[in-house]
Amino acid sequence: MRTFFIAAAALALAACHEIPQDAQKPYAGKEDTKAYAGDMFKGDKMAYEKALDQRAQYQNDYAPFREAGKSQ
Amino acid sequence: MARMKFICDAERCIECNGCATACKNEHEVPWGVNRRRLVTINDGVPGERSISVACMHCTDAPCMAVCPVDCFYRTEDSIVLHDKDLCIGCGYCFYACPFGAPQFPQAGAFGLRGKMDKCTFCAGGPEENHSVEEFRKYGRNRIAEGKLPACAEMCSTKALIAGDSAVIAKIYKTRVTTRGKGEALWGWKMAYGGSEKVSDNLGGKA
Repeated sequence: MRTFFIAAAALALAACHEIPQDAQKPYAGKEDTKAYAGDMFKGDKMAYEKALDQRAQYQNDYAPFREAGKSQ
Repeated sequence: MARMKFICDAERCIECNGCATACKNEHEVPWGVNRRRLVTINDGVPGERSISVACMHCTDAPCMAVCPVDCFYRTEDSIVLHDKDLCIGCGYCFYACPFGAPQFPQAGAFGLRGKMDKCTFCAGGPEENHSVEEFRKYGRNRIAEGKLPACAEMCSTKALIAGDSAVIAKIYKTRVTTRGKGEALWGWKMAYGGSEKVSDNLGGKA
């Protein structure tokens, strides 16, 4: 019975991941440098993602900082 | 992991071509190549709608699937880029792309086609970031500067939004709910006009 439940749980959880949708074709070109690898972020991916997310908020007319009349 | 996308809000786009101009200026795109363009539906008819179209950086990119030399790759941010040193200008990607994003400069006499050029989401290409070679082949790398694509940032009505899909979807959702259309925004009627029932429309199935 225990084995059955473990097998059922494993089978159910098997669907809980993202399957790559494109055919796994090899990229034959040159390796690109990471966007956050330069002087700006010095390899800090978290800082890079945070900067882009904050920047995206400038496109939001209803951002809290706009309502408060602040320039952020 | 971010998944970079564009959204164009047809309710806000005023067909000013500011995005196309910003793109041309930012990357010094040659004559005849349009990385971004405006498409107007029902042009001249009351209620016409315009949207700004470029490479949509598809999650399952058809250009990538058909390329015979495998020059396409996807960055960590899901931006679809290609290596121009490898591209042979065959045009398969142009036929595969549902948005008409791949562009081909006329490289010489007799209609000779050059290497493919397309929107890079202002992320450059497979060259050293901010190098002269990167700018010459792919244009400016704004993403590495912590900036978003020039087209979206220049949009005067903020119709074109760019960024991580989760972030921009939230911005768009806030906008449409504030606009007050609520549930009505998502139906058949909003998208195509006419009846809400699919079966009442031409080509619709019951």
